Parts: sequence; C-alpha cells; structure tokens
Amino acid sequence: MSAQIEKQNGQQYPVSFEQHHKISCFLAYEYRLLDEERFDDWLALMHEDIHYWMPGIENRRRENLLEHGFYAADHMAYFDDGLRDLGRRVARFKQPSAWAENPATRNVHQVSNIEVYYGETDGEYVVHSVFQSVRSRGLDEQYVIHGRRRDLLVQEGGSFKIKQRLILIPNATLTCKNINTFL
Amino acid sequence: MSNIIKTIDVTDSLENLKEVCDIEDGRISGRIFYDQKIYEQELEKIFARCWLFVAHESQIPNTGDYVTTTMGEDEVIVIRQKDGGIKVFLNACPHRGNKVCFAESGSTRGFICNYHGWSFNVAGNLVGQHESGIYEASDFDKAKWGLKEVAQVESWKGLVFATFDPEAPTLQEYLGPMTWYLDALFDNQEGGTEFVGGCIRSTYDCNWKIAAENFVGDILHAGWTHDSAARAMLGGSVAKVSDFEESYSVNWNGHGYEFALDTVGNVAVLGESALNKYLHTIKPSVAERLGEFRANMIGAVSSCTLFPNFSFLAGQNTVRVWQPRGPNKIELFTWVVVNKSAPQEIKEKWRKGAMMTFSPTGVFEMDDGENWEYCTKTAKGRVTAAQDLYIGLGMNSRAEETSLPGNVFKGQLNEANARAYYQQWFDHLSTKRWSELPNRNFGKQEAE
Repeated sequence: MSAQIEKQNGQQYPVSFEQHHKISCFLAYEYRLLDEERFDDWLALMHEDIHYWMPGIENRRRENLLEHGFYAADHMAYFDDGLRDLGRRVARFKQPSAWAENPATRNVHQVSNIEVYYGETDGEYVVHSVFQSVRSRGLDEQYVIHGRRRDLLVQEGGSFKIKQRLILIPNATLTCKNINTFL
Repeated sequence: MSNIIKTIDVTDSLENLKEVCDIEDGRISGRIFYDQKIYEQELEKIFARCWLFVAHESQIPNTGDYVTTTMGEDEVIVIRQKDGGIKVFLNACPHRGNKVCFAESGSTRGFICNYHGWSFNVAGNLVGQHESGIYEASDFDKAKWGLKEVAQVESWKGLVFATFDPEAPTLQEYLGPMTWYLDALFDNQEGGTEFVGGCIRSTYDCNWKIAAENFVGDILHAGWTHDSAARAMLGGSVAKVSDFEESYSVNWNGHGYEFALDTVGNVAVLGESALNKYLHTIKPSVAERLGEFRANMIGAVSSCTLFPNFSFLAGQNTVRVWQPRGPNKIELFTWVVVNKSAPQEIKEKWRKGAMMTFSPTGVFEMDDGENWEYCTKTAKGRVTAAQDLYIGLGMNSRAEETSLPGNVFKGQLNEANARAYYQQWFDHLSTKRWSELPNRNFGKQEAE
C-alpha cells in the first residue's frame, strides 16, 4: 500500500527539522481537537478546496489491480468529501438527537511515522503518516482502525490547512459497524 | 452434470417455535435474535433453500468476469460464461475443500487451487492438476470433480439470484407481484440499472433479521432515529410520514415494500438538488413506461427487503445484503445502483450521496447500527429474550378494494410487512421443503 503512495509523488525533498516538527505538532493538535469533540475548530483546519478521501479497499489479485491497486477514484468510498460534506457530518455530531453519540464515543487518535516533503507549489507540503484510531462506546465496545495517510498541507500564516487527505486502511471488510469519527 | 451440488439433509423443526414468533397474536421474542439453535435452523431451512441475491449483471459483463460472495455462510463464486450465462459455484475445491478464489472480484480464465494445483475453467470443469499422471493411475474421472454448481441461478432485470435448492420455485414465482414494484427502481428507464464499482463491507454485532426487517417495512423509525441526520442533510426534520395522504405496505412471500408516492422524499436526504431534478426530469418517461402510480415511487419515501436478506432504498439507491455470520453478527455488503442511461455527473452524485447517508460513514446509518446491535444484545439475557416484543401495528389495515398487486395494506407506518416477514421466517423454520410451505398470500398476482 505504501508503495502505491510513493509512486504518486515522484521525486521528494524532505523539509527541515524545524518544519518537520511544526507539521508533526499540527497533526497532533488536529487529532486532539477530534478527541475533544471540538469539531468546528477541526473543520476550520480544512482548506476550502479540501478533498477528504477514504476509498473502499478491494481485495483483488495482483493481475487484476484497479486504477490505484486496491482502490479506484470512481468506486465506492467511506469518505469522498468536500468542505460542504464534512460540514454536514459535523452538523450531525452536534445534534442533540444524534442518539448514538449519547453517551459520547470516547476517542484516542494517534499519528506517527510522519514524513514531510516539499510539495510542487511553494508553501505546500506532502505529508505521509500512519494513524491509529481507538474508539470506545458504552461499557465495553472498542474499535481500532489503523491506516496510512497522505496529506497535502498548505501553509497559511503561522499554521496550516489540509487541502487533500487520502486515508487508506488495510481492511477490505471494516471490522466494526461504523466510522463515527474522522481519521 | 456431476458438478451439481449435493443437497443437504434437512433436520426436524424446533418445537414450540410459536412461543418466540406468534404473528396472529402480534408478538415475537428476542430469542430469535440470539439463539444458536435457531440460527442453525435458519442456515439450512432459509439460506440453503431460498433465492439469494449474489450479484448485479453489470459487475460481470464479460466472459470470465467474477465476483465472490456468500449464500448464508457458504462462500460462492459468481462467474460469467462464454455463452453469456452466469454460473455460481461453491468457492471450495472438491479435493480437500480449500478456497479456490481469494479475490472479491476480477476477471480470469479459471481458478487454480493453491493446495494441490487442481485447476478449473470458467465453466467449473476440472481441467488439470499438479502431477496429473498419478491421478490417471488411480482411474480418476475428472468429469466428476469440477467445482460444485448451485442448483438454480436466475436473473431479474440485472439482479442475479441463486438457490441451493433444486425444489425451489422459479425466481419469478418466488418474487411474485413484487416485481411490479421493483420496476420503480430497477426498470424505470430504458437500459435498466448498473452498480457503481466496488462494494463496502462492514461488521455489525446484530442479528441479520433485525436489519432486514428494518428495510421490509419500518419507516416508523426514520422520523425519530434519523432526526440528527435529516437535520444535518436538510437543515430540518425528515418528512412527516403520517402527513402523506396515500402510502402503502405491500408484501408477498415474506418480501415487503413500504412506500409513499411523493417522488423525491428519499432522494432529497442526499442533499443534492441535481438528483431531485434528474428524477423530476425522467418522471414523464417513467409514467409512460410504468404508469403514473409507479412514476411517483422512483425516489419516494420507501424501503424494501426481498426475503430473506436483500434490501434497497429507491432514491438513496443503496443496495445491500445482510450476510449472516452467527446469530448475533452480520457482514453488511453495500453497493450503489444507478440508471445506466443517467448522465455521468448524476451517477457520480449518487455514488457519493449514497455513501454519505447509508454506509458505515453514512450519517443516517450511524444511528441504525446502534439500535440493531442493542436489539440483539439485550436478548443475551435469558429472561429478557423470553419476553414478548410487540409487532402489532396496523393489524386491521388490509386494503380491501385495490387494483394494486400483492398483499396490500394501507399506510406505510405499519408493521404489516414485518409481520409477513416473520411469518415467512416461521413458515420456513416449520417446514422441511417448499411443497410444505403454506401459501399466505391473499392479494392479486398482477396489477389491474
């Protein structure tokens, strides 16, 4: 899966130690917002042209691969969102009648294996990372999702906006009932 | 035809089934969602007997194109033949039973088992083995050891169904007049429908019937369960179903379709005005094709389940199978269906819209999953599972004078379809073969 992500990038130039640190902190901050259910603050980190994409993973033979191997742009996806779509998802989380969010789902989002490269345009960065999302609901439900991400971040003032996010999980069958969080 | 599957011995029915499912009395009990013995009966008396959805024709257009799926817990390969037909095989090598196809879809000239190299062509015939010489020395008859082919496969307007039971009625007979209603989604335009690429699978800790029953006739939950999603997508609550002047619950052989006639109530929740517009644009041609009544159904507030575990929503265009994985677990397979003739940008909006609303990340489905899991989990309690659950809404709502086909009930806020569904479930579990199954249909076979 990682090999496919690499292929789409061509030549890569890593950023400075300092910039790497800033972006690592940004990703940790973004995840803390989710864990604290600060959805509006999280939404504010999205670029107006955000493409937030988590394609469905298809279990195909090597000789029968799809456009991107295990996934394709015109196939089904968990998320294939613009800003309006993400806003609608956040709007549901905020409804008092979101019955399945009360009691709340308790989240821990973790990000690691962060690699940061200069993007093709000034002020843009290609960021690879690995994530782990742990959710617990009720007394005993626990769901863990692992995956890889490729983000395109854009520098805005002293901070960043997320312009593209590709989320790839290894699973062709989700081992839980839903993904009631962002990854 | 030695590759035809061996049928299983059907065991005796469980005693006292009426304690857990008494439809005349309007009650069921939670045991039917949690009991292992009941589940085993379901696998042999329902999933090894009924017509089950296995693929859409558009997924396998060319010779050698295949998808894999399950019929009950039995793994099968659905593959397009040279003559254009479709065969369904057990996905198990007839030598030691190893799985022969590990991919979910693809295109191939055949399958080779990883274990001893048994090799099968598209028609399922055994065409070779590793060290084939030693088989000849054992007087091995290749013709007898192909992939096991299920008893019957039939298509209806692109939907491919299969059954393990050679005694099962024809698909047409099985679906009966429900096909008249299914046309509203699957044949409302020339060329019919196709599936968007891919299949999303997820896992619920719930009984398969809870989910299937939700789609067979439970619009009642929508206004309450899905309030948050409706507000997120529409900025307001969902359409108040009790305000509709005319709506119906129709069933046949345990299948059920509940619907209003508001044309766009379902599609509206996708929050894409272009899709509402598309349905309004095609509506006159649908009226010409299917008549005014069904033209009002194309994206109306509605849901449908074909017994036992195939469901869809016209308008949201989500199609799904609730695959049983034990009494309290399912795998949900979902697809998106679109009209073949629809413009590409319309198909694209449906692809995204269906996922945004009804999928593991769908804002509507989130709240369903929680309900279905806990309807199942509470039945873990021995005492809780023995209590009656009410299923009596609309007991006396039969539409006496109607020109509509099927068993027709007035109003979609009605548990008539759920009752018919569980009655069919009861009847299957109470009988050993199709010829013993009582016929409880009272409606018309065809529209007048």
